[in-house]
Amino acid sequence: MSSLYAPTNEDVKQRLRPFGIFFEKSLKDLIKGIRANNETPEKLNHFLAQALSECREEANSPDFNLKTNAVLKLTYLEMYGFDMSWANFHILEVMSSSKLQQKRVGYLAASQSFYKDPDILMLATNLMKKDLKYTGTDDVVKVGIALSGLSTIITPPLAADICDDLFTMLNSSRPYIRKKAITALFKVFLQFPEALRDNFDKFAAKLEDDDTSVVSAAVSVICELSKKNPQPFIQLSPLLYEILVTISNNWIIIRLLKLFTNLSKVEPKLRPRLLPKILELMDSTTATSVLYESINCIVKGHMLEEDDYDVAMQCLDRLHTFCDSSDPNLRYISCVLFYKIGKINTAFISQFDKLVMRLLNDVDVSIRSKAIELIEGIVDEDNLQNIVLVLLKQFVDQDVVLLQVGGFETTREIPIFIPEQYKIKMVNAVIHICSMDNFANLNDFEWYNAVLWDLAILSQDLSDKSLGYRVGEQLRNIMIKVPSMREITMTTIIKVLYNEEINNHLPSILKDCFWSLGEFSSFIENGDDLINLVFQRRKYYPADVEIILIPSLLKIFSNWCNRSTDIDPERVKSVLSDLLSHFEPLCYSKAFEVQERAVQCMEFLKLASEAMEQDTEGLPLLLTDILPSFFNSYELKPISQGTQQKLQSCISVDCETPFLTEEELQAVLNQEENENDEGLFSEDLLLIDDSSSASYQNQDYDVPDESKANSEEPNVLDNEELESRKRAERESNPFYLSQNNDRTSKASTQLLDFSHREADEPEAHLIRLNKNTNGTEDETERKRKSKKKHKKRVHVLSDEVVVENKPQSPTLSIQSLPTNASSSRGKISLRMPTKLEKFDFSKPLVSPSHDGTSDARRQSTSGEQDELERLRRKFETQQLEANETLENGENDEETIIIKKKKSSKKKKKHSSSKKSKKKDSVDETPKVSNDTVI
Amino acid sequence: MTQIKYMILASRQGKVRLVKWYTPYTPKEKTKISKELPPLILSRKPKMCNIVEYSDHKVVYRRYASLYFICGITPEADNELLTLEIIHRYVETMDTYFGNVCELDIIFNFGKAYAILDEMLMCDGAITESSKRDVLSHIHSMDTMEGSDQLERITS
Repeated sequence: MSSLYAPTNEDVKQRLRPFGIFFEKSLKDLIKGIRANNETPEKLNHFLAQALSECREEANSPDFNLKTNAVLKLTYLEMYGFDMSWANFHILEVMSSSKLQQKRVGYLAASQSFYKDPDILMLATNLMKKDLKYTGTDDVVKVGIALSGLSTIITPPLAADICDDLFTMLNSSRPYIRKKAITALFKVFLQFPEALRDNFDKFAAKLEDDDTSVVSAAVSVICELSKKNPQPFIQLSPLLYEILVTISNNWIIIRLLKLFTNLSKVEPKLRPRLLPKILELMDSTTATSVLYESINCIVKGHMLEEDDYDVAMQCLDRLHTFCDSSDPNLRYISCVLFYKIGKINTAFISQFDKLVMRLLNDVDVSIRSKAIELIEGIVDEDNLQNIVLVLLKQFVDQDVVLLQVGGFETTREIPIFIPEQYKIKMVNAVIHICSMDNFANLNDFEWYNAVLWDLAILSQDLSDKSLGYRVGEQLRNIMIKVPSMREITMTTIIKVLYNEEINNHLPSILKDCFWSLGEFSSFIENGDDLINLVFQRRKYYPADVEIILIPSLLKIFSNWCNRSTDIDPERVKSVLSDLLSHFEPLCYSKAFEVQERAVQCMEFLKLASEAMEQDTEGLPLLLTDILPSFFNSYELKPISQGTQQKLQSCISVDCETPFLTEEELQAVLNQEENENDEGLFSEDLLLIDDSSSASYQNQDYDVPDESKANSEEPNVLDNEELESRKRAERESNPFYLSQNNDRTSKASTQLLDFSHREADEPEAHLIRLNKNTNGTEDETERKRKSKKKHKKRVHVLSDEVVVENKPQSPTLSIQSLPTNASSSRGKISLRMPTKLEKFDFSKPLVSPSHDGTSDARRQSTSGEQDELERLRRKFETQQLEANETLENGENDEETIIIKKKKSSKKKKKHSSSKKSKKKDSVDETPKVSNDTVI
Repeated sequence: MTQIKYMILASRQGKVRLVKWYTPYTPKEKTKISKELPPLILSRKPKMCNIVEYSDHKVVYRRYASLYFICGITPEADNELLTLEIIHRYVETMDTYFGNVCELDIIFNFGKAYAILDEMLMCDGAITESSKRDVLSHIHSMDTMEGSDQLERITS
């Protein structure tokens, strides 16, 4: 050919590389320019801006080549984040070019940029229709391009317009066109589900196409569609099953498995047929991705029953081998699947504790973080401490893992950076596994106290400040729930308070600490020092801590000044004035709640200090009686989360009826006059409550279990050392716990009403408080105590039932898989506003069985058709009823004339059974049609 | 939604070489993803797994020579191993097409790279043409058609 004309270098080049050459040079220039101007961002930006303005000019030029060139460059620049939607009309022009090459560029640009612009989509519709006209073999590529482009440009009207064309293309002789048509139909179905409903069989027939790629496309499309609405495809399952059994292409098998996953979710009947086949597939296949998908299918398709240990083990064994593989991807995905299986029944994975522990030390932090989610499933009493130890050890910035290199014995140290996110996850995990099921796995609360202390220290440096709340919450929970551990927990809390660093960096932990301090301040002897300490620190505290702190201070003060009779009134006075001066500024706090509470306390304390001035003998009644009565009326018990809210909803307040009738009121008033100040303490009512509730304390001692006592693991945290460390801590701590005699003497100072309560309640406390010092303790109690200490099995109070407890979820609740999902949903609107999800496939199904109209006719006016159908049905039932009444009438007539009541009854029965039969058949008809149409 | 949300080809320096969005993100989200992801991927050690959780979805990546192929996928709906397989198939196909593909091939012929990708991943990443031969033959036939376009231009 070259002889026909003198070829220039350019021409030769063009023929050598017959594509892209047209604009190659200038695109090349652009790319080269970008590379040349790479040194500084400013330079690059300057260059890009220049290139962009060039493109702008070129795109406006009447020369099509230049325009195409510009569009291509813009498409490239789009990758650099430049918006090209302004060029949409130019793109449209290029798309409409008759030259394939330009068309291709146009469609490429369109798919990158169009979906933003609904106006341009309208214009594109006509073009698409034209391009989709398939006129001959030469058009294959053109149609192919158009079909590919369709998926980005499709709109509901366009979908409705072209679906007929596409269905004709399904019968094309070329597999390529069939395949492209199927893929394009996918988008059409999403926009225009009626098309699928009306041509379901035609489409499903493509599953049996001769060409594998067509089958693959059909399976894929059905798979994707079934994700949105699986119902209509269930009837295809025999056919799909057939394909699954016969086909050997792994790509298609995976698609089919996915499809079956979707179907099985809504049709449980599939399980008995599919499950054996899938298990067989798992045995026979060599491809890991197929294996993975099989297990996925079993798990996600609800094929794994809660008690089906056989299948679960088969799956888990495979995963186990995956986990041992050297491929980190396999380890990762099997971790994820492990989690899902564990979610079905935790018992399935409980035996894999060794594996999980190994995964916790994986080289890859992302695998570790997946393994953390598994911990909940494997944790039990025996390995809890071990697991926590493993986790705590990882709180370093750089971990080192020894890895075997090659087949030799040589190992290499691989440093691993531990990201903060992972540390936060670890803190949460530790807290979760220790506290789950009301501390079911935890039997050594002293150890847990140490762990919480460690966590408090570690959490300071982490950015997630809510960790402080969680740790504090744990301290508070064991304080309330584990009465026998209160003194130890108290030391931990005081330790936390003492640590200036924690105060500084993690004030969120203090909220619950202060609450506990206040609530259980009877454990503290020198409350005045504690109050002083708090004053030194108070500059750190945010408002929400301050809210808790104010009443807590009051509680501490109350317990402190009533601790013994021989308290120095002068000391009380000074503390009192300290408190007053502390509350003073808080009365002007910006936080409303703080202000209110401060004012309340302030006023009371002012009264108290006035009383102090007047009363030189001992403490005034305000401090000895009234102040404790604020807080000590009854013991607080744990309630489950949300109970308070539920209670609120249960309470109906009657604001109408007066508390007392006129006469009663008069009587009370009279009485009051007689009694004077005897009626001052109205908590008698509450006291009744107390005495009954206090009895729970006796449950503290579980029957000791000797066997457990002996099985202390040696490898666990060195308990011995821990013990001694803690003891030392306690001794050095100025807030040593108050002593037995204090309590008794205190009781004696109380009013009669109170001593009754006190005597009843703190028996258990007394003993525990004086662990090391008190010699007068009676022998049996001591025995009990020592046993308890060995075994570390402590009674944990469960939540009080106040209102009906909500049913607790039985399986893993875990920190639900890192919050995925959600966000992307709302955004997708322009490009793919699919109507399929909500589309009711059953709607028009009534029609064919009744009137037998052809598919073609129904296609157009489904709305009218529906109405017609409804009418028709209505008529039919009416007719039926008419028949019935007619029949009945006849019967009646007969009975009247001939027989007595008895026989008439019989006949009625007969007729009524007929009637019900008829009704059945009426109900049946649409169902039958259901199967036939779709 | 769709399976593959996007595919990004990034160089070892973190430069984006090719982006294909299968989910309509806003321009802001797009820049965010293409700015954040490459450094995140690049920071991963070779011993680590090729699956990363990123914002609300998962990201599967694989490195070929100096290029990172990064795919955003829908969690729960997608098979991570298969995605890796798709990436591999894409690279194989390009390798055959360009003949020992390198980063520069993709830079200068990004239109071609897109075309191959379009032939492989259809319908917003939901469907994959697994046959390398099929993909290549269609690309070639398209190229020939374009070639004849040019021939017309030359002869006319």
